[in-house]
Amino acid sequence: MNSLNVPVIKRLIAKDWLLFQKQMAAYVLTGILSLCLLGMARPWSFYIGSLLLIIVLVATSCFAISTSLINERKEHNLAFVMSLPIAPLDYYLAKLIGNLVTFAVPFLVILIGTLAAILLTPLPDGLVVYSLLIFGHILLAYCVALSVAMAVESEGWNIFVMIASMVMINPFMMGLSQIESIHGVIRGEAIIFSSAAIVILTTQVVVSLLLLVGTGWVHCRKVAFY
Amino acid sequence: MAIERLHYLDNLRALAMLAGVLFHAALAYSPLMQPFWPLADRSTSAVADVFAWFLHFFRMPLFFMIAGYFSAMLIEQRGMGGMFANRVQRVLLPFVVLWLPVILSLTWSTEWAAANVEHPSAVLKIVREWSTMADPPQLPPGTSHLWFLYYLMWFYILQWALGSVFATRKRLQSQLPLWTWLIAPLLLVPSLLSVTAPHPAPESFLPQFWAIGFFGFFFALGTTLRRQPQLLDALRRWSPGLAISSMLLYIAWLYGLRRLPPDPGDLAAPWQLAVLGAFISLWMTLHLWIAGQRFLNVQHPWLRYLAAGSYWTYLVHLPVLFVIQYGLMDQAFGWLTKLAISVAATLAICFFSYEVLVRRTQLRRWLG
Amino acid sequence: MTVAFALTGIHKQYPQFTLSDISLSLPHGQIMGLVGVNGAGKTTLLRILTGLVRADRGDVRVLGLRMPEDQVAVKADTGFASEDMRLYKSQTLRWHMDLIAAIYPGWDENYARDLLRRFDLKSDQSIGGFSHGQRVKALLLLCFARRPRLLLLDEPTTGLDPVARSEVLEVLSDVLRDETRSVLFSSHNTHDVEQLADSISFLHQGRLIASQDKERFLDDWRRIVCFGDYTPEWPEIAAARRNGSVLELKVRDFCGELPARLAAHGLTVQSVDPMRLEDIFVTTVRAGAPA
Repeated sequence: MNSLNVPVIKRLIAKDWLLFQKQMAAYVLTGILSLCLLGMARPWSFYIGSLLLIIVLVATSCFAISTSLINERKEHNLAFVMSLPIAPLDYYLAKLIGNLVTFAVPFLVILIGTLAAILLTPLPDGLVVYSLLIFGHILLAYCVALSVAMAVESEGWNIFVMIASMVMINPFMMGLSQIESIHGVIRGEAIIFSSAAIVILTTQVVVSLLLLVGTGWVHCRKVAFY
Repeated sequence: MAIERLHYLDNLRALAMLAGVLFHAALAYSPLMQPFWPLADRSTSAVADVFAWFLHFFRMPLFFMIAGYFSAMLIEQRGMGGMFANRVQRVLLPFVVLWLPVILSLTWSTEWAAANVEHPSAVLKIVREWSTMADPPQLPPGTSHLWFLYYLMWFYILQWALGSVFATRKRLQSQLPLWTWLIAPLLLVPSLLSVTAPHPAPESFLPQFWAIGFFGFFFALGTTLRRQPQLLDALRRWSPGLAISSMLLYIAWLYGLRRLPPDPGDLAAPWQLAVLGAFISLWMTLHLWIAGQRFLNVQHPWLRYLAAGSYWTYLVHLPVLFVIQYGLMDQAFGWLTKLAISVAATLAICFFSYEVLVRRTQLRRWLG
Repeated sequence: MTVAFALTGIHKQYPQFTLSDISLSLPHGQIMGLVGVNGAGKTTLLRILTGLVRADRGDVRVLGLRMPEDQVAVKADTGFASEDMRLYKSQTLRWHMDLIAAIYPGWDENYARDLLRRFDLKSDQSIGGFSHGQRVKALLLLCFARRPRLLLLDEPTTGLDPVARSEVLEVLSDVLRDETRSVLFSSHNTHDVEQLADSISFLHQGRLIASQDKERFLDDWRRIVCFGDYTPEWPEIAAARRNGSVLELKVRDFCGELPARLAAHGLTVQSVDPMRLEDIFVTTVRAGAPA
């Protein structure tokens, strides 16, 4: 196996961001708008602001996947990209890194913002574990959507998976509310990582990683790239 | 790559920085700020108010306008990526590095003053009260006076985002007719209407609509004037008129402030004050811009030194001023003497530290 | 003699179509025309050469390197343009040129500008506004200006109007003048192939039915018109068509003694003419046998 073609991988990531720039700019504007709404410190603006922020997170990640992977296949740009001096693994890494960073920026902003809001305000600190589990689900849902977009060519399936994995957050939250060691400590001030919480969180992270690695393995064994 | 030097902008920036030190120092002797400002002194004078709030209307707008102008220039010369690389180094990094020391030193000096000063301000009394509580209320951390840098970063991002979404190559070739400049301040009214008068410093980490609308307008004006300097042409000969009108409006604003004094519970300014404030802000800022182009496009060694040290002075002046004015709190001098001492000492310390820590070291390239 | 590429025993199965047992090589510095009807397997063959498709069996070597294992090195020296390869609609040609220039050290900006002029393309126009012909020319420009050692062109002239076609052919023949470059281009337009290629390969229903020098091809085939009642069924007669007493024969492996042999069977030979490539191709395909 040849070594990675790092300069071209960087080019491809920059290219994908450039193609995505206009949409990304729109999301950044919406993100700033929602932060301003949060900054108004009224109950209604707080509600709308946090909702908008989550919409921005989901929309950014889904549209980044769609622009960089699904559209590229649909518009027959893939053959052009694959005719450049790269191996399938280079292509996979470029897509993976580009998409993960696009996802990670709003994800981390919201994650850190949420944790800061819980820890620095009168909100009970027990919410920390619960919030981490919710963010774990979002991460997992994103990795599922990204993996499917890499591996499955059907646009319909991709949209289905994107929506389904995000919508699954509801049953997931219902499930969490059934676990006493997680739900019971939400209103307390102590941050308690029960064994159930640790198992769920670890599963989310490990499955996310396995999905990405597995997708890379599948991708490198594909027999057609056009 | 050589960057063109625009002396009048460097000089304007230096003067706005001096105005900043004066403004912050004068707040201690402002009757209006007695309930809100930790440095509030026993000796006050309405003159301090008259003086401080006039500066308040245009010194930050002028900074933002200059920053907008320079950012458009950087994009012209180095592209969007180059602009961001430069701004991260010159704006974001100083903010990140200095934020904690600034907050810690302000907290430290305030806690010291609360414990030791014999004639504490209203705010210090509250701090003193809190220090005796078992579980004192905690204020969320803010950006302090570094909010200017913080908002600049938001404006750079907004500049990129708006430019990407609404990409256009159209440029007005003509000047803007006089009447557009005369009614343009109305655009600032909604922002000023949604905060108290005089408008506060937006120190929260969460961006504020009004601050983005108000200061962002000046930033955008600066970028626009870089690309289309002729827009101002119709206004140039009316520039003295702008200054005189602003001063007259300011008298009306002071009168209005007396009739409609601010209350800590206020969420919004009376519309009369918001409208007057909008006109004073834009007209005075434009006047200074035009006057600066006409009279300040000169190179004096001392002006150049002042300009070079102004960024550093801006960054560190507030913690220094806090220590000095807390120290002066129990002194029996008159307000003017205290003002003179605090301004002189603050500037002396800032420029001395600039000379020792920045100008002669590697930091010069970063903060010079 | 070094070869630009060598395929040995290539096999690729699809549900509706099989490319079977292809062995083909192109000597360095030569131009090969790949001729076949739509669906003959030309595109699949080119995709296997570029690594876009992996063959089920067989050995692929391009520029002396193994595919797809060494595809990065191979693609760094290869230019591939195919009919179904699209550029990014939202971006300008200039943007694509900058992308390619940043990736390929051999990018020749002066040549690219020259091609822009000759192809009559506007570099600051976005690809979405290009016509089919302009898109093809843009793609070829991006391939040519990186100065690759091997050019693989899938149907480069298909769907072009006569002006665009002649522009492309002209530039292509300029490229071909440089003897260090090898070219494989596919087409169902035999005129283009006849004009440009040194050697010609016929592909039909996934099989290679002929691969030879162009000159030998043309030398080997003859169209003979004669009168008489006898219809010969000899191996070298690829097609025979009778209209009353007029007999038209299409002959492969033509040799000088054939008219005498026909005369010996009572046929009066009226004319012996060389054949156009198109005629040879159609005859070969219809005969279904190796040319």
